[in-house]
Amino acid sequence: MPLWLLAHANVTWYLIPLAMVISLVYSASRYELSEQILRRAIRLFMMIVGLMVGVLIILWLLSLNL
Amino acid sequence: MTAPAASGRPRLWEQKNPFIAGILAWLIPGAGHFYQGRTVKGVIYLVCIWGLYFGGMRLGEGQVIYQNPAAKGRNRLTLSLMAQLGVGFPTVLTFVQTARAEADNNRTQWRLEEPLVAPFEGTLIGTGPGQLEGSGHLSGTVELQPTEDDLTNETRGKFIGTLNNKPVELELNGGFELERPIAAGQKRRLQISVVPTGNDHPQLTQLIRGTIPRSVVDGFVAPPDPDSLRELNFRLAKTYDLALVFTWIAGLLNVLAIWDCVQGPAYGFGDEEDEDATDTDQKTPVPASEPVTPVAT
Repeated sequence: MPLWLLAHANVTWYLIPLAMVISLVYSASRYELSEQILRRAIRLFMMIVGLMVGVLIILWLLSLNL
Repeated sequence: MTAPAASGRPRLWEQKNPFIAGILAWLIPGAGHFYQGRTVKGVIYLVCIWGLYFGGMRLGEGQVIYQNPAAKGRNRLTLSLMAQLGVGFPTVLTFVQTARAEADNNRTQWRLEEPLVAPFEGTLIGTGPGQLEGSGHLSGTVELQPTEDDLTNETRGKFIGTLNNKPVELELNGGFELERPIAAGQKRRLQISVVPTGNDHPQLTQLIRGTIPRSVVDGFVAPPDPDSLRELNFRLAKTYDLALVFTWIAGLLNVLAIWDCVQGPAYGFGDEEDEDATDTDQKTPVPASEPVTPVAT
């Protein structure tokens, strides 16, 4: 499903391309070789998204009995 | 010029003028890297930072980058604008646009000076008996011209298009109001009264209210009206906040890009750990063999 369609459902989906861009630019500023930039960017992206999902799960659990 | 690294790879960022490279990188993300011959990184920065910046502008309907219209002097430089200034050229234009928007000749027009033909999107609004039948969504073209009659200063013309998806042609005259030309957003508000036809109730009054396109030159990073901004915040809500965040992050990321352009990558090429490991292996001393004790004969 295209991202813009998902974004119309919930604006939170826009955080995915945001995390991709931040990972890529940050990694590009750290390294020079393309392979290293890409590898580190993917790792950083997975970390950011994993952290966001983790926080989302914690918030969901905390809101269960509200 | 520094000699190439031990591995033989040239340090391209040291081969060009760093000041020029830094200025280019600030003005246009990636331009400094192109200047240095670092094409891949230039493309990464250009696509990512501009993608984020203009994506934010698109989300915010072009009204996220501006000097604070309600403030004076240094108070116009908000934290938001300072973050957005990281991107350079497009944001610097906001100072030019603010000056243009505050010029005396940039005001709401109550009378046309020259003919106007433009696509129009809006609504037909009726008041009085029969208003329900005489209302709806309009989509088409307005053709307006100033009157040459000295007694009246009205703007006349016609609307040709559809009303609720049905073809319609409306005669227009009087009550003309056109938003000032230089302001934020790509749409310019227009309102003008409709001439009653013979079939309408004599007490029915109608007008069309909608928008025509504003030129990119007049709308790009121009300051918005406070009312327009309020309406946008109300309509877009979280999406407008996200649009702002996108442009801030684009500006802040370009600071990293400028730093990389001027001083090179923070951690080096990226395979120095492997190189160090290889060097360590090569430099491991070979244990000397035990001396051979000569046997007396």
